[in-house]
Amino acid sequence: MLEALSAEALKMRTHKATWFLVWMFPIALTIIMLIAIVSGGAGAAPPGQTAADWIENTSIIWFVPNNAVGRYLISAFVAVMFAGEYGWNTWKLIVPHRRRTSLIGAKYALTIILFSISFVLTAAITTGLTFLNDVVTDSPLPAGVGAATLLDAHSKAALAALAPVLIAIGYASLAAVLSRSTIAALVIAIVATSVEQLIFNFGPQLSVHFASVVWPLYHALPGHHIANLAEWIREGAALKREFPGGHVVSIAWTTSAAVLIAWIAALWGGTLAAFKRQDIN
Amino acid sequence: MTVNPRPVLELVNLSKTYGRRGGGVRAVRDVSLSVGSGEVYGFLGPNGAGKSTTIRMLIGLIAPSAGEARLFGEDLRAKPEVLRRVGSLVDGGNFYPFLSGRRNLEVLAKTQGRGADRIEELLDQVGLARDAKRKVKGYSTGMRQRLGVAAALLGDPDLVILDEPVNGLDVAGIQEMRDLIRSLAVDRGKTVFLSSHLLHEVQQVCDRVAIISKGEIVRESTIADLLRQDDGLRIEASPTDVAEAALASRWPVEREGDALIVRAGRAEAPEVVRRLVGAGADLFRLTPEQRNLEEVFLSITQPETDDA
Repeated sequence: MLEALSAEALKMRTHKATWFLVWMFPIALTIIMLIAIVSGGAGAAPPGQTAADWIENTSIIWFVPNNAVGRYLISAFVAVMFAGEYGWNTWKLIVPHRRRTSLIGAKYALTIILFSISFVLTAAITTGLTFLNDVVTDSPLPAGVGAATLLDAHSKAALAALAPVLIAIGYASLAAVLSRSTIAALVIAIVATSVEQLIFNFGPQLSVHFASVVWPLYHALPGHHIANLAEWIREGAALKREFPGGHVVSIAWTTSAAVLIAWIAALWGGTLAAFKRQDIN
Repeated sequence: MTVNPRPVLELVNLSKTYGRRGGGVRAVRDVSLSVGSGEVYGFLGPNGAGKSTTIRMLIGLIAPSAGEARLFGEDLRAKPEVLRRVGSLVDGGNFYPFLSGRRNLEVLAKTQGRGADRIEELLDQVGLARDAKRKVKGYSTGMRQRLGVAAALLGDPDLVILDEPVNGLDVAGIQEMRDLIRSLAVDRGKTVFLSSHLLHEVQQVCDRVAIISKGEIVRESTIADLLRQDDGLRIEASPTDVAEAALASRWPVEREGDALIVRAGRAEAPEVVRRLVGAGADLFRLTPEQRNLEEVFLSITQPETDDA
């Protein structure tokens, strides 16, 4: 498995997709923040800024997987990773030499490792540059900001980002293996993510007209469960959404975790099962 | 070439059907063959005959619908690790276009769990040492083919499977490939299983061949036997109809212009002459007619390809 992972890393480290879709986050955020600091556009910290506000500003990267556009970007990288082998016709090069489980496992592992490094790096850079901006603008560091509080807040934000990252990877990888096309995989992943977000964001409104469809979908799709789990991690309480008729959706974190685990197992397991049975012509 | 009868590769009733059982298309049907250690085995067939599907089943890219592929005595499905002893070139070499030739081989070596120590030697052997740093997307078809051969030999395999190895090569490249295939078997004791549509090349390097048509093996033998079976006698006799009638009751006879091609061996020439004389035909010329592999191949597969 380590050998397959090493081969995968060697292959992808110079690929454009890795630069545009993985390293883009730390590079883009560094450039934007440096320009803001140098031009004075970032400005001094607002008066009365709390430690929680300051830390939240530094953890912006962890919110990327929680919105649709962030997940599109993750899906795009996964589509290239998995479906690229069909486009380049290179499964024929590597499949005879290693178990298919190991090849797919290496792709999953590398995706998670790359995004973890990218997000941790981005978070570190953001924190450093936020501190630099305070120094440049002579703003005082809010009381309570320290290594322990930073680490605690970033760990929780990272944990909340885990499920949407894994779901995004699952949509794109399954679509890649079934469609054998990078573009098709990306389109399918975008559609799946958008439908999920649509149902989550507009569930109460849509259920006025389509209650019989929207209500079960709202509970079954990952959207509410991702947000609910994030709410439990950050606030220690369930996310409450009110539906017409006074129905309030409030779900225990264990239920949301179980639903998300089932989704991830189904998407990742489906990818593996489909690839293991697939004829490579 | 020294051939050890111990089979390195055995196919037993190997079949592949695409689509649903009722209306499925049978791409390969009950293919059985056996290749011994140190043998160079040719796998011939017209386009769409099932060669590539069979080769893909041999290297685990396609799952057979029925039958068994055994490599080094092991069932491929039960023990796919046996493919570590196999090197293959399919589709003229498939590589990551954004990586250099050398980096592609490094990726393959890591995938195989091997070191990169043989890469320089192989790049040199296939004549790509100077282009090893260039990205593969800039390679010509022939260069990709040669890189494919290097990839096939990377793990120092005991069995080398080459699907159309001379496609895209120039005359000198074909000569080099022929020498390489020979040396793999003769000098290094490797077993080579190759498909090619260049029958002249196959005739020169292979010990035995199988001919596949419409998914079925229609002939398997040594090259010598295959050509011998199709030996014949070219006869010019008059009246041609009388001569043909006299011989057709005993041997297969074909007309070729004014001449008759009689599928009879050299030893049967006196009997041919006696029959012609007995029938009152005048014999003007009798010469041995030996077909080359291409003619034999066409005679076996042409009627079927015509149907297709």
